[in-house]
Amino acid sequence: MTPAEIHDRLRARFGDDVVALHADLRDPAIELRPERLRDACRFLRDDDDLRFDFLRSVAGVDRRDAIEVVYHLLSYPRRHTVVLRTRLDRDRPSVPSVHDVWPTADWHERETFDLLGVDFAGHPRLRRLLLPEDWVGHPLRKDYERPAEYHGIPVGRDASPPVARGGGGDRPRPRPAMHEPKAEELAGFLRLNMGPHHPATHGVINFLLETDGEILRRAVPDVGYLHRGIEKLAESNAYLGTMPYTDRVDYLGAIFANHAWALAVERLLGIEVPPRGEYCRVIAAELNRIASHLIATGSLAMDLGAFTPFIHWIREREKINDIMERICGARLTYNYLRFGGVARDIDGETVDMIRRWLDHFDPIIDEFNRLIGENEIFVKRLARIAVISPEDAVAWGLVGPNLRASGVDWDLRRDQPYSVYPELEFDVVVGRGWRGQVGDAYDRFWCRMLEMRQSVRLLRQACEKLPPGDFWAKPKTVKPAANEVYACTESARGELGVFVISDGTDKPYRAKFRTGSFTAMSIIERLSPGLLLADLVALIGSLDVVAPEVDR
Amino acid sequence: MNVVHHAADRCIRWAFGVDPAAWPWTWVVEAAFLLLAAAVLLAFVALFAGPVTWVERRVAGRIMSRIGPNRVGPQGSLQWLADGIKCFLKEDLIPDGADRPLFRLAPYLVFGGMFGAFVVLPFGAHLVAADLNVGLLYLLAVTSLVVVGLLMAGWSSRSKWALFGGVRSAAQLVSYEVPAAFALLAVALAAGTLSLQGIVGAQGGWPWDWFVFRNPFLFVAFFLYFTAAIAEGNRTPFDLPEAESELVAGYNVEYSGMRYLFFMFAEWANLWIMSAVATACFLGGWQVPGVPPDRIAAAEGWAFVGGEALSFAIFAAKASALVLLVIQLRWTLPRLRVDQLMITCWKYLVPLAFAVVLGALVLLALVPEGGLADSILRATLVIFGAAVALLYGRRIRQTYLADRDLYRRMEGKDAWYPPYRLP
Repeated sequence: MTPAEIHDRLRARFGDDVVALHADLRDPAIELRPERLRDACRFLRDDDDLRFDFLRSVAGVDRRDAIEVVYHLLSYPRRHTVVLRTRLDRDRPSVPSVHDVWPTADWHERETFDLLGVDFAGHPRLRRLLLPEDWVGHPLRKDYERPAEYHGIPVGRDASPPVARGGGGDRPRPRPAMHEPKAEELAGFLRLNMGPHHPATHGVINFLLETDGEILRRAVPDVGYLHRGIEKLAESNAYLGTMPYTDRVDYLGAIFANHAWALAVERLLGIEVPPRGEYCRVIAAELNRIASHLIATGSLAMDLGAFTPFIHWIREREKINDIMERICGARLTYNYLRFGGVARDIDGETVDMIRRWLDHFDPIIDEFNRLIGENEIFVKRLARIAVISPEDAVAWGLVGPNLRASGVDWDLRRDQPYSVYPELEFDVVVGRGWRGQVGDAYDRFWCRMLEMRQSVRLLRQACEKLPPGDFWAKPKTVKPAANEVYACTESARGELGVFVISDGTDKPYRAKFRTGSFTAMSIIERLSPGLLLADLVALIGSLDVVAPEVDR
Repeated sequence: MNVVHHAADRCIRWAFGVDPAAWPWTWVVEAAFLLLAAAVLLAFVALFAGPVTWVERRVAGRIMSRIGPNRVGPQGSLQWLADGIKCFLKEDLIPDGADRPLFRLAPYLVFGGMFGAFVVLPFGAHLVAADLNVGLLYLLAVTSLVVVGLLMAGWSSRSKWALFGGVRSAAQLVSYEVPAAFALLAVALAAGTLSLQGIVGAQGGWPWDWFVFRNPFLFVAFFLYFTAAIAEGNRTPFDLPEAESELVAGYNVEYSGMRYLFFMFAEWANLWIMSAVATACFLGGWQVPGVPPDRIAAAEGWAFVGGEALSFAIFAAKASALVLLVIQLRWTLPRLRVDQLMITCWKYLVPLAFAVVLGALVLLALVPEGGLADSILRATLVIFGAAVALLYGRRIRQTYLADRDLYRRMEGKDAWYPPYRLP
């Protein structure tokens, strides 16, 4: 269904509560009155022709005269998308929460509350998510002023580092981030901080555990330690100046955020990429996908106590880094894509290098599987652990390999094609319960192993087909007219979406990154009850959560 | 008669010219010699536990296709010394609110438990500090002291992660004590003695005289004991008490400096204990092939010293092979989960241990030693064991050759690092 048809359906049902259809936007948006938003969402989800079962993201926008909340929806069964938006009073922005329509809205709404101060009525625990609980102000508001200091620590560019003072008693101690459940609630349970520095949390994340011996009663992720405010930074940087920041969204898959950002801005500008540029993008992206999956599967093995496979995968990744260094000069934060192409060409020698590496890497996957992937202990540790049903996976907004492992056949490269993926042959790997149940931790691991083989296939084809010609059609200026666009790529951790609002200047008015780890993180609390401590480690590892991608 | 008493006797005769049996001060000299033996053992533990850390790290390096420590001394062989000195110089931290006396005591209990086991380990024909007639029982009892130490360390650290480690290790060690003890009981039945020297003496130098190939049940008992010993030594795949990705470092997470070193010391000393006990009880111990033990005992002068040295070398070679096997296992396998660990022990190993003891009893009663049935049984098991060892070696060689071919294609091309593979 097109947005216009969906708009007609909504208007037929809700009448004048549907304010308007903004058809002039790149991604047409339907504006609703906030009072009926929840009912409209329920209708959109339950109506058999619409079936919007996936809430992609919730983004708040400060329009200076009002606060807007924008909902991006996708329907897996009907394969169509829609954008909802609602305008709120700027002084008292309030909108009904949709967390009971789509559970994934829980964290999205908390983030919007945190960064823009929108009150989601009916949300069970509307607390700050990324910023500390006692932070003052909502940074993504346009009139936000940075506090001079936070608990005696100067904040800002020209702030000098704090001078250590004797005893430290004269400084107010930061309130601990740990929430305080009632004392009687915890009788007989052990409360435990897993993090922020713990070997299994893959970055700086804190898990607040309540355990009964080894058995978890609850594990609540406490994120925000790596919040660098990339969305805020994007508002004060030119479009191209934001490109290096997108590297840092997910440092294990920098190309994907590059790509999503480039796609969004190219759609705003309405420019095309020459074929060679597209192929260069695909080669870089698939190499990056393999590198990211190497870390995911390797560190999962390491979390389960097998150290050797991780080092083997680091050895292979080192070679991808070598290739990437030849391609774009960087080994981790590539900053490779440009609007209209890529920064540097991939020469014949590099293609030869990639081919040689692929010849070598294919059998190494078998070696890895002999070493760990088919190891009985490893399988027993993962099979039937933390099973996510397809319904849950969709409702909680899981994406990428985590979603496919739960049996949902969806891959943006095939189903919302971008770049030159339609010209290349590859299979979408869907979980089949290889060693246990569909959607268990082993499926998530094995999906990634098989996806690496598909990436190898894609790389071979891309190296074969790499067309001659320009690799970069450089636009004269990057100053898109006022518009809104949502672009997404299939990153190693699933859908990496960028929602950009341009206002005719050379800087984005608002940029929102929607990442796979964010939603993967939010499902951990739901899955944790009843797991063992060691299972939690396996769960985090199998979801392939990368901390900076959660916090941005 | 072991080497300590023997030396004390000879010393008394030589120095005082009296008969030691009738002399009232014999015990003083013997006590001095026992202290000397303790010092020698301590030196042995230090000289084993230190370098074996380097060996382990080098082997791990090869398995992981990297180099491992190679800077301190030739090929990094003095790395352990540098590490030891570093640990000595580190600040000895005791966490705020820790139970200080227990916190300080715990490492010594752990180390004491491990070191106590060395008293009865037979290193050679007469090289044993004290050949107790309840050797096996003593061994099992004194190593249980380790549990107390680990639990104490976990509890007194006032850290929840350390407590998890301590509780896990207590549960694990107590559980795996059972199959280990029953596997050794089967050996005691076959040997008819609890003395470790007696058990070694009941075997022979040739593989078909070893207990492991005596009958199928003892063959199983060997693997039972080895598995349980790995679990008792907190080594992968049973390293739950110090699972670094779950518990950070387990019971020793709050320890630093010298106290930390004592835990590590005990861990690697234990590597030797488990290998040595397995060697003594199943693999013929120090028995020299073709040389009956009484010939070594009867030898005089340099022949005696040579015999002892040869028996020690054979014992050390067997034990070292097992140590290398344990190291290889550690760097290959992932870790079990805590419930799987308990299931493995109580549902599989313990019933199997009972069956092994009963089966060994029945077979010992039915098949008289030296008979035709006995010979056939031993021959079959030796051939089987040899085949297993051969296949193991071949597998390693095949992997090596395959990988060498794989990497040969990559050689000589710049930008590709030289691969370091497990030979």
